[in-house]
Amino acid sequence: MASTSATITLASADMLSDSLSFTTTAALTTAGTATGLSNTSGLARKTTVSTDQYTLYLADEYTADAANKIYLKNTESTATLFFTVTIDDEPMGRLYAGDWAFFPWSATNGTKAAFSVTFAATWADGDTAVFDGVTITLGATETTAAMTDLVVAAKYPNFTVVETSASVATFTAKDSNDLSLIEEGTTSDDYVITTGGNGTGTVARTVAPVASANDIKITPSTTASHTLEHMLFHE
Amino acid sequence: MAVTTASLTITSSDLVGDALSLTTTNTLKKANKIEGLDQTTGMNVAYLTSVASIDLFPALVEGSLAFTGKSSWVYICNKSTDETEFALITIGGINIGRLYGGDYLWMPWSMKESANADNHHGDIELKPSVATGMFFDWICINEGTEHHAVDLAIS
Repeated sequence: MASTSATITLASADMLSDSLSFTTTAALTTAGTATGLSNTSGLARKTTVSTDQYTLYLADEYTADAANKIYLKNTESTATLFFTVTIDDEPMGRLYAGDWAFFPWSATNGTKAAFSVTFAATWADGDTAVFDGVTITLGATETTAAMTDLVVAAKYPNFTVVETSASVATFTAKDSNDLSLIEEGTTSDDYVITTGGNGTGTVARTVAPVASANDIKITPSTTASHTLEHMLFHE
Repeated sequence: MAVTTASLTITSSDLVGDALSLTTTNTLKKANKIEGLDQTTGMNVAYLTSVASIDLFPALVEGSLAFTGKSSWVYICNKSTDETEFALITIGGINIGRLYGGDYLWMPWSMKESANADNHHGDIELKPSVATGMFFDWICINEGTEHHAVDLAIS
């Protein structure tokens, strides 16, 4: 187990009649334990050159409701260059030049879309199944079981796929923020099957997607070069 | 003009292969200016005995013109010594994260009206995990404080 500490000091000699000065040190531990956090994204920097919104951390990729911690720092020195930090679409605040923040992160996961494809009948040489930019073209007549094996063996950029029975492949989105609903039925426009014989593939939705509302995003204030330093400590 | 500094040091000798030793300090300034922040709620010390969510800064009028583009900073610390006791911190109804016993946060606060079109108006809320009593500290250091008028109806 790693031992990591984070110490904050706030000090002001003239904001109040009495001086403000306090220091707090926190040991970064896993939720509800004395065990140190052992995972980190590493200290990183991101330079932006547009006012687009950038996603720093996808909640789906981390343990939800854990004792995750995020460090952010605007490394710029020009006062007008700031980043707006948002949790999903909720503005948290602005990091002006030199500002830093350190806060916990729930990483509340969304729900990833899922659907199944049930293959039936006989698949002929030249039949195709097209989904997520991947085209499977048969080089010979295949059974439904063999067709399912071919579909499951393929690599899809935005979905994972498993064989849930000899003739059924179930796809799950890699990201809950992909909210597209795959059209259902035997003639789905999303999962497109072209057959010369009598093979069919019936699409059925198994899980409707719900977006994560917890991704950490930043929006630079201008198109000038802005650099943000960031680090995630997580379970 | 007040000069207030916020410093952070993160250290670990065994989290990664190389020792981690990060230190950063900034002076809290008004937005787009070199003037220091000069207003504060003062440090609040609270002993909470309910698991109900509370609004940490009810004296500040959120989403008002006075705060548009202004700089505000929030510190919250869970003083509990029980590592299983936590507080869920939210902003505008969206979870930020859990502060377990001994944890703190330091974050900027836009105080913008909630993007979710509800009535939270960027509120920062704290919800203790137990009702057996937990101590918390919190402070907001900001500019442009605008206090509620008497009997102001808040939607």
